[in-house]
Amino acid sequence: MAQLASRAGAVNMQAKQLLAEAVHCEAAAIPDDARIGRFERWDSLAHLRLVLAIERQIGRQLDPDEAVTIEQLSDVAALLSPAAP
Amino acid sequence: MSPPPKGRPVFLETKRFSLRSLKPSDASERWMNWLKDPEVMGPLNAPIRKWTAHELMAHIASADNNERYLVGIFDLTSKIQIGFFMIDVDLFHRRMNFNVVIGEKSWWGKGVVNEVRAALLDEFFEQRGVEKASGMPFARNFPAVFNYKAQGWRHEGTLRSHAVSVANGPRLDQFQFGLTKDEWRSLRPGPAP
Repeated sequence: MAQLASRAGAVNMQAKQLLAEAVHCEAAAIPDDARIGRFERWDSLAHLRLVLAIERQIGRQLDPDEAVTIEQLSDVAALLSPAAP
Repeated sequence: MSPPPKGRPVFLETKRFSLRSLKPSDASERWMNWLKDPEVMGPLNAPIRKWTAHELMAHIASADNNERYLVGIFDLTSKIQIGFFMIDVDLFHRRMNFNVVIGEKSWWGKGVVNEVRAALLDEFFEQRGVEKASGMPFARNFPAVFNYKAQGWRHEGTLRSHAVSVANGPRLDQFQFGLTKDEWRSLRPGPAP
């Protein structure tokens, strides 16, 4: 159980780090509830960088129906999770 | 045969931009350069076009401000055109379909599309009888997809292998995004115009 929680925490951190790199700021500056349309630094070019970074990280191109779900930090974490398709 | 009657041109202003229906005299070297720039046209899956000024003028003249609009986006400060919207209206179904090109790359990632599209949505929903808007970005045009989502449009469907790639790649997937007049009224920032 603790191991699962720790893995989830690591994936969340990784998601935050990818978003931080995409928006050119420190991970600490990314709010936990960051989402498209509310987190100003997450603009269209940052979104492009983020999707490409996710693809690099998981080693494959996202399916369109996966890519279109990305709206908030938790969606990024879900795609990075080892359980993701 | 006389040319088809023209509709009412668009004249709008946002915080940073003026928008107006384009005229053949708006054909410019700047615009012709956008059409032959793979970085600009690639995400739209549009062929690279080396148009002459005359060809571009003829293209602009094909917009009738009734069923097809070509609306230029002009920076209020410099007065320079930085891009344009092409809007097709289905008068019977009271629908419109958006396409946009931001040709000036220095404006990419600066919220131009949604600032300008908000004014166009207000105009077409409230003044021109349109009741539904749609947009069909290519699935890997991530900045365009971002803009639709950030503005609150609904992802209505994924059209798999929907289009031939002009770059001779594999067939391309496209998304269908939609927004109704009522949805826009509840989403738009500030009171209805």
